Amino acid sequence: MSQVPVRLRGLAKSYGLKPVLRSVELEIAPGGCVVIVGDNGCGKSTLLRTIAGLSRPSGGEALLFGEEAWRLAGPMRQRVGVLSHQSFLYPNLTARENLEFYGRLYGVPKVGAAAGRWLERMGLAAVSRARVGTFSRGMEQRLALARAMLAAPEVLVLDEPFSALDGEGTTLAVALIKEAVAQRTAVAMSTHGRPPLSGFEFKTLRLVAGVLKPAALDEAGREAVTGARTGLAGSVDGGTVGGFAQRPEA
Amino acid sequence: MAGLSAVLLKDLKLELRSGQSTIALVALSLLILVVLVFALGNEGVRGPEGAAGALWVALVFAGTVGATKALLAEGENGCLRGLVISPVDRATLFAAKMMAAAIFMAIAEIAAVALMVLFFNLEFDARLARIVPILALGIVGFAALATLLAAVSGRTRAADLLMPILAVPMFVPALIAGVKASAGVLAGRPLSGLQAWLGILVAFDIIFVVSGYLLFEQVARED
Amino acid sequence: MKRALTTGLGASGSALLLAALGMVFLYVPTEATQGIVQRIFYFHVPCAWIAFVSFALVAICGIFYLWLDQQVWDDLGYAAAEVGMVFCTLVLITGSLWAKPIWGAWWTWDSRLTTTLILWLLYGGYLMLRAMSEDTAQVARYAAVVGIVAALDVPVIVVSVRLWRTIHPAVLVTRQGGHGLEDPRMVATLLVSIAAFTLFAAWLLMLRFATLRTRTRLNELARHLALNELSRRGEE
Repeated sequence: MSQVPVRLRGLAKSYGLKPVLRSVELEIAPGGCVVIVGDNGCGKSTLLRTIAGLSRPSGGEALLFGEEAWRLAGPMRQRVGVLSHQSFLYPNLTARENLEFYGRLYGVPKVGAAAGRWLERMGLAAVSRARVGTFSRGMEQRLALARAMLAAPEVLVLDEPFSALDGEGTTLAVALIKEAVAQRTAVAMSTHGRPPLSGFEFKTLRLVAGVLKPAALDEAGREAVTGARTGLAGSVDGGTVGGFAQRPEA
Repeated sequence: MAGLSAVLLKDLKLELRSGQSTIALVALSLLILVVLVFALGNEGVRGPEGAAGALWVALVFAGTVGATKALLAEGENGCLRGLVISPVDRATLFAAKMMAAAIFMAIAEIAAVALMVLFFNLEFDARLARIVPILALGIVGFAALATLLAAVSGRTRAADLLMPILAVPMFVPALIAGVKASAGVLAGRPLSGLQAWLGILVAFDIIFVVSGYLLFEQVARED
Repeated sequence: MKRALTTGLGASGSALLLAALGMVFLYVPTEATQGIVQRIFYFHVPCAWIAFVSFALVAICGIFYLWLDQQVWDDLGYAAAEVGMVFCTLVLITGSLWAKPIWGAWWTWDSRLTTTLILWLLYGGYLMLRAMSEDTAQVARYAAVVGIVAALDVPVIVVSVRLWRTIHPAVLVTRQGGHGLEDPRMVATLLVSIAAFTLFAAWLLMLRFATLRTRTRLNELARHLALNELSRRGEE
């Protein structure tokens, strides 16, 4: 009886008097990948925070595996990996110690070996014994990515995963996301502009005025909004991810 | 359990590495004792009453600073958020943070007791052993209270101001009982004669450990 | 309906307060040992009663808020804390006024006065927490937690302060003598006064509560408007 990993229904969120999300509908099946784009301050981070359970909806529902994300039970949270715009890394611990710490929290088996593999993979093996406080922003982002993916989550929430990454880092991040999708992880991510993803199926949605709308990006990276101009305005169900099974199993 | 030990060991490791909180706490305790000697006059603070009072003043203020710092350290890079959405449940998080605060406070208190003996011309003898359980009860209660309140005040404006404003009045019963019991012990009375005060300390500890454990969930999560 | 209740409380509270005032100054006999000052007792005790009830209400509202997650409980708890604080301040002032002629000092560390002072500090902290932060659901939860924990602390405070005073015997006369209400007119006056203060405090609470409810509703309205504005932008 497996539940849809990510399902948002009529999700609304306001901070104080300011509404950020109006009515977001989204469903991501295992192996589905949704990329959310939009202007600065349109609420991408808020949306991802709410999916991750860091923030509580003001209206509607944000469900992970059929349970409300903000009060997901401890063991269920093992199945969710989150990369926020904050790295969640301790500046006074080394790269390895940070990974081992989070590995222990997430019940990763053979934590030392797993941390070693990830450091190697992220190209951080040489600095594994350096404190994170000495890292550049890009190195920190690589480590934060490893931290989010360490426990092989079934849901991956990535807020601007490519920010601060150099070309090599971006290639690495893309490969990791592709692998995760191939292992049937449901991925929700946001990017600043055109996502540098390729080689697998993903769906780009645009967050505008508090709702998600289907968006297609042209080659120049400008967003050619297909939905809004062709009469799909309002609360569009932009959530069905192409090609993947969305049937919630009864 | 694994989560508890992971968070606690991480806090201890961080502290061993920088030593910031502990050194600050020891220094603050020392300063408070010196200030009290000056403020109350050389004669005014002699004897067990004065010594016990000074010790508990040091505990309250050093503890306030320590607990605030312990939670603020999690604020860097949003680490507290990382913990809140990790599989470790929030009550366990409270237990780990409380234990870490208690350990730092205990280290500061050991230093404070040693200084108290010197400053107040007491003797190193069996009476000091009897003060240990009293201080331990006080430290546990204050650590629980301060961990809960540091989480409450941490995300408000003027957090470092609000924390003592909330914590000190709440700590009053434990303070009264702790000072009285410590003074009694330093005056040479056996612990068995101080049951009423110890009872208050135990009751205080139970109330704040249990309510902190149950209510931390409410203050740790965000909207 | 609610307005009628508020008006009724206000009118009956004011009328009873006048009656209580009359009884205190014209009807009740002067207490033998303390003389005329003892009359302050008929204001002092009702104030203490209101303060305690209000602080209990703060904790109860806190529990309901955390449990049911409805803004109305937060509004009621906030209003109760403010009313309680006003009356707690009055307890300290009247106690001080009473203490001066009887005990010869404005302040003594009498167990009741001390307990009241600590309560005043506790709920002062509660109100400062609210004053120093935005009114968000998160701060409402913080306040609820502080209100609950403070109320749990009260019994321990009472016991410890009482023990503190008995072991450290008071030099001054205890107040015991003043409390023997030997004359039935004294009992009657006290009861009328308590009733008057209770109605009056309930009226204040309702007024404050109504204000906070209005604020909550205004916020909801503003949120609604902002949401409409956002969806209008979405249509463009």
